[in-house]
Amino acid sequence: MTQLTSTAAPAPSAAILLGSPASFGLLLGLRFRLLRNRLRQIVDQSPLRILLFILFLAFIWGALYAVFDFVFTFLRRYEQQAIVAIPLVFHVFVMAMTFLLAFSAGVLVYAALFARQEPSFLLATPASPRHIVTIMYLEALFFSSWSLVMLGMPLMLAIGHVQGLPWHFYLIFIAALLGFIPIPGSLGLVAAAAVATWLPRVAKRTVTIAGTIAFLAIVLWWGRLWGLSSADSNRWLQNFLAEMQYVKAALLPSTWVTNAIRYAIEDRPTDALFYLAVIASTAAFLSWSAVTFVGGRLLRAYASAQTTGSRRRAAEGRASRVLTHLLFFYLPPRTRWLVLKDVRGFLRDPAQWSQLVILLGLLGLYLVYLPRSRPEGFSRQWQALICFLNDGAVTLILSTFTSRFVFPLISMEGRQMWLVGLWPLPRSSVLRAKFYYALTITTLAALGVTALSIRALDLPFALAAVQIGAVVAACFGLCGLAVGLGARLPNFRETSAGRVASGLGGTINLIASVALVAISVGLFGVICYRLVRQEDLTMLDPASMGCFVAIFAMGLCTAWFAIRAGSRSFNHAQF
Amino acid sequence: MSIRITNVTKCYGRLRAVDDVTLTVQPGELFAFLGPNGAGKTTTIKMLTGLLVPDAGAIEVCGYPVTLDGQAAKAQMAYVPDQPFLYEKLSATEFLEFVGHMYGLPRSTIRERARDYMARLEITDYAGQLAESYSHGMKQRVVLAAALLHDPQVIVVDEPMVGLDPRTVRTVKQLFRERANAGKTVFMSTHTLDVAESIADRMAIINQGRIVACGTLNELRAQARREHRLEDVFMELTEPESSGEPPGRLTGRAMGSDI
Repeated sequence: MTQLTSTAAPAPSAAILLGSPASFGLLLGLRFRLLRNRLRQIVDQSPLRILLFILFLAFIWGALYAVFDFVFTFLRRYEQQAIVAIPLVFHVFVMAMTFLLAFSAGVLVYAALFARQEPSFLLATPASPRHIVTIMYLEALFFSSWSLVMLGMPLMLAIGHVQGLPWHFYLIFIAALLGFIPIPGSLGLVAAAAVATWLPRVAKRTVTIAGTIAFLAIVLWWGRLWGLSSADSNRWLQNFLAEMQYVKAALLPSTWVTNAIRYAIEDRPTDALFYLAVIASTAAFLSWSAVTFVGGRLLRAYASAQTTGSRRRAAEGRASRVLTHLLFFYLPPRTRWLVLKDVRGFLRDPAQWSQLVILLGLLGLYLVYLPRSRPEGFSRQWQALICFLNDGAVTLILSTFTSRFVFPLISMEGRQMWLVGLWPLPRSSVLRAKFYYALTITTLAALGVTALSIRALDLPFALAAVQIGAVVAACFGLCGLAVGLGARLPNFRETSAGRVASGLGGTINLIASVALVAISVGLFGVICYRLVRQEDLTMLDPASMGCFVAIFAMGLCTAWFAIRAGSRSFNHAQF
Repeated sequence: MSIRITNVTKCYGRLRAVDDVTLTVQPGELFAFLGPNGAGKTTTIKMLTGLLVPDAGAIEVCGYPVTLDGQAAKAQMAYVPDQPFLYEKLSATEFLEFVGHMYGLPRSTIRERARDYMARLEITDYAGQLAESYSHGMKQRVVLAAALLHDPQVIVVDEPMVGLDPRTVRTVKQLFRERANAGKTVFMSTHTLDVAESIADRMAIINQGRIVACGTLNELRAQARREHRLEDVFMELTEPESSGEPPGRLTGRAMGSDI
């Protein structure tokens, strides 16, 4: 055995005293090794997961490409509008991405630097704080921007296809998007460090308040745009476009990205390269500044974030208890207590309720203002078409919610089985409690938006009833799938609900949910089509009635089978 | 002086988690840091390792200030937290390799020491498996091996024995004793009074953020006017009614320590 303990005290090496300049390479190497091990494990244990992931990705990309291709082909038919609308669409798209990426990167950096256990380990080593920040920043950029790449690539291919563009357009497009990502990312990094340093006790509340203010700002802005409404829709469009001119301001990064892409489309590569250079230099400068600034203050920010205290008030606990007993009056008392635990988790996790509030809220907002865009009222065709689109939007939002937040519930519960498993209740009652909890929340939220849709479109009773029925059936089916598959394909080892949702079981559940939504919305589309064809929205013909029964039966049967399969598996699960 | 903590205070809002704490630990000492739950042990340790910044006072490790020049102090130190952290997708071997490189050790030294520590802590059999499959005790052993890998002058350990089987507890006690005998410092926070009693050279008891006693076991017994086990001494010195302004709070001179 070697001498493990030397008696002499070695002086710290120069590298360590200088903050271990090699630590960046080591940390980067560590990330690659973690990724390699994860991939190797997936390939060894579940190659199906990779196949499903690739297929799912290809499906989403294909669908997005088809939509973009259709839109741009459609716009090209109306040359005049296309010239005005396409650059504006780009400006708005990139500007929206700026805010979303900054927010997303900020949340990811905050979690990576101040909420996980890893920085506690790394900060106790001689690793340079600046290198730690750089690695976490790069990681956050990667994870926050995949959606942009996901949306951007089909968009690029669709433009290239519709306009017949040369090869350098694709290179400039990719470079502009990738170069742009660090600009909002660096803002997110500084914001995360600022929250950790100065607002550690209220990090979640800060995010919630900031989100609410941003939401209200969008509401006011949206209201202002819709307030421009007049009896003439074309005039409204002109006013709308005039209002949106500020997004084209020359100093905005979104403008540089749009200009680079626009010049690439117009086959002016030199002008496009100028904007690429502006984007790249700004991104490099902002990233360097943000990393240096946060790296220099990391220890203080981290120490400050560790003082985070939870300020739960007794009144909040009472309110959630009363709310649960009111909403779930139909459940036995002991099951209600099981549900109360999840309700409190839901109310205290802004990620959960904010997703529902923001997505359904935006949909609700659009529905509130919808009648103002057409004061003369909607024709039957428009009523049916918008009703169909609304049904699709609501059910898709619900499917993402149940996949992300309902599916992991059982996996998370598995960690509490030392408690819940010993209760004098059958295990299946745990599943039923989760199902009723998810069903009640999603149904209430979805029915609220559906009621707005019915009011905005002034739908006749028959179509309104079909839409309500379709939404309720989708809630049954989606919640049943998420709870049932959550119990059938649990991951009791995982501590993060997000990672459970993105795992194999979560991916299967998402695919199954999207398939259910696609079939349900497809059948609903058939009903809408037939109602328009018969020029009467007040009466369902036998075929439409059959479709409606099929939608409802499919939702209920999916829930029943999924819960049954889940219960069988959960009853025999060992923890 | 291996560790010098001078008039350190840390507040969480209105709560003074650590209140004007001063203590020193010499090279070659195995120092036990005791106290009830919420007494300020972990906060003190986190300040000692540079993870928290004191509101007042100063901390030095091997002569390097922890708060101002963290890197130099950290190079001399290792920290084993109460909740062992491992990268779930790394094996024990890969983790030790990473930590060794982080401290600038040559590859051959890392391999040699990793092999020896893994053998002593009985990690070898599962060294190639990913950490996600480890039990709490296995993780604790890997973290201990990682902490010892660069042969630190000071090792700071928060609850080292939690989750370890009796055999490993004995090994860890031996390892700590060996380090102290070799002139290194072990600063150990623990609730396991038997362990403190059996291996610590000196110990301090913290209660409600203040050091209420510091010294050898015999000195603490004298302070508490108890002749028996450390458990009785601990109970005496951390009685709720005696903790406001501890009547028996030791002075440095009285105990021959640096308080």
